[in-house]
Amino acid sequence: MSNFTFLNPFAVLDEPGTYMGDFFSNNFAKKAQAGNVILNLGPQHPSTHGVLRVIVELYGEYVLRSEPILGYLHRSHEKMAEHKTAYGFLPNMGRVDYLNAIGWNWAYTAACEQLAGIEPPERAEYLRVIAAELNRIASHLVWWGAFVLDLGAFTPILYAFDDREWICDILQRVTGSRLTMNYFRFGGVGADGDDRFFSLIREFIPLMRERLKMYKALVTDNVILRRRLEGIGPMDADLCLRYGATGPLVRAAGVPRDVRKSVPYGIYDRFDYNIPVSPVNDNFGRYWVRMEEISESLKIVEQAVERIPPGKIIVDKAPKPAWKLPPGESVYSVEGARGEICVHVISDGGKSPYRVKLRAPGFSNLSVFAEAAQGTILADAIAILGSLDLVIPEIDR
Amino acid sequence: MMTTDAWSEAFREAGALAVTRPDYKRTGLELSAHLPPESLIKAAERLYSEGFSLLFITTADFSEGFLVTYVFDSFTEHKRLALRVLAGDRKDPRVPSIAHIFQGAEWHERESYDFYGVIFEGNPNLVPILFPGDDPIPPPHPKSQEAIASIRKLGFLGEAEWAVAGWELAPEPAKPAAEAKPAAKPADKPAAEAKPADKPVAEAKPADKPAAEAKPAAEAKPADKPAAEAKPAADKSAAEAKPAADKPADGGKEGGK
Repeated sequence: MSNFTFLNPFAVLDEPGTYMGDFFSNNFAKKAQAGNVILNLGPQHPSTHGVLRVIVELYGEYVLRSEPILGYLHRSHEKMAEHKTAYGFLPNMGRVDYLNAIGWNWAYTAACEQLAGIEPPERAEYLRVIAAELNRIASHLVWWGAFVLDLGAFTPILYAFDDREWICDILQRVTGSRLTMNYFRFGGVGADGDDRFFSLIREFIPLMRERLKMYKALVTDNVILRRRLEGIGPMDADLCLRYGATGPLVRAAGVPRDVRKSVPYGIYDRFDYNIPVSPVNDNFGRYWVRMEEISESLKIVEQAVERIPPGKIIVDKAPKPAWKLPPGESVYSVEGARGEICVHVISDGGKSPYRVKLRAPGFSNLSVFAEAAQGTILADAIAILGSLDLVIPEIDR
Repeated sequence: MMTTDAWSEAFREAGALAVTRPDYKRTGLELSAHLPPESLIKAAERLYSEGFSLLFITTADFSEGFLVTYVFDSFTEHKRLALRVLAGDRKDPRVPSIAHIFQGAEWHERESYDFYGVIFEGNPNLVPILFPGDDPIPPPHPKSQEAIASIRKLGFLGEAEWAVAGWELAPEPAKPAAEAKPAAKPADKPAAEAKPADKPVAEAKPADKPAAEAKPAAEAKPADKPAAEAKPAADKSAAEAKPAADKPADGGKEGGK
């Protein structure tokens, strides 16, 4: 195909003084075929939304092989958990995934509650659902803006951040922060919503629905966007199963799996909403699933705001900061914006948890990339990467 | 679709050492099977054929070794199952890889390799994933000697609904506090133990000091006495007397890759 011969800078590894690249690029280059180009994207590449690095082997413009390199944002959250009290680890949960802090709040809090047998009061459950669903919408909005930005459209991200601003304002009233939210407590939530909180939500819901119509006309129905998405990056159910991909990836692959329905945690069984399942498993399927989820989340928030009962927001005698987890283990899953967030807590009854494992959905979702991007052109590989909705701090933990 | 009972049977066929049924309401797990390393692949293949997906791998450090827990869930129904493998040799912990069945396991295994130095035999690309490759660091997650606990302490292995005869993942540590203390008194010869090598007795920390004091060569001969003592009461004081139980705890610290 190509008449050019590309020198492979990694092929001369054995000669002293000609060392190039780092461990990972050399490790990747071992399996490269002579004449192909090895291209390094990241970790400071604008298309990767953070410090993700991907090494690709190209034949012309075609991706033969690729390997994501992680760890540039590893902060040892799991090890930190072993040195803090169970309560003291709560703020970390807002920092694992900055776009979906509430999802992580829920997974960790509930894993500990499950082990200790604590049941939060009714009003706290409603507040949890409202916060989690609003957070999901905010997360999807940022993804939407950034994904379309990857594909070359600059305007949508400005609209997306405009809407997200509403959600930040709403959640700020109860959580006290706009990004690294630490709202959940063992046995309830940290603060009750005031009148302004609920009136802002009531204002936001119809507004967001109008905006979704505009998004559809402006972006979803745009022929350029469709050409970039349709038929690109198919991922079938078996691929998702082998890699442990969850969330919008499996729902785009036609599997109606959503933890909110399959294991109704909290009070999700009381609401009327659908799980969008896409008939096509390409980039557009994943795009469509997330856009539909925004309107489904709005439905849940609307019902929750109508039905929320008065009452306590935290159990009496809620665990104090020095509270010790009872011995045993506990696995708890919640449906985060990116997929199944799972926290595995092992406790020996001591001051701090013995082991906390954080299962990040983005970690498993990203592992699909190498196989899904094989044989596509580089620009499409970037589109596939964007469609996975990656948040690097969550992947690296 | 298989019931939990059918899975219990299936793991048994795959060569499980024991099957326990944890309290789902409290642990979030329906079934947990303890497997010898060589049976892991067979059990994983069975799970794959029934449409199960690997959620994650948790490795945790115990005084018995590294306990590797694989948690699976099904795409079509909700059923959370766990497979557990104990990598007992702390100097060279080895577990077979299941990355050829569940490709997603490759990364999870590499993460355990990073954190604990557990080697997954057959992993196609066992290099660091979260840590730098150029500048390898020793795995940071193994517990210090003060922090390490026994699996038994967690109590989730207690009620095996079925187990291989005589199987015990975490043998009874012979009532550590009550029995080890009197033994530790300098006047008592058994405290010095036959081999000075197993000085740090994990369960009986107070024993360390007097043992070190009483070590002089003169003790070497009476050594066979405590050994003889330990034999009849093997079931009780075995964990104390057996060097195997404590020695690995020593090597775990430097446990390089």
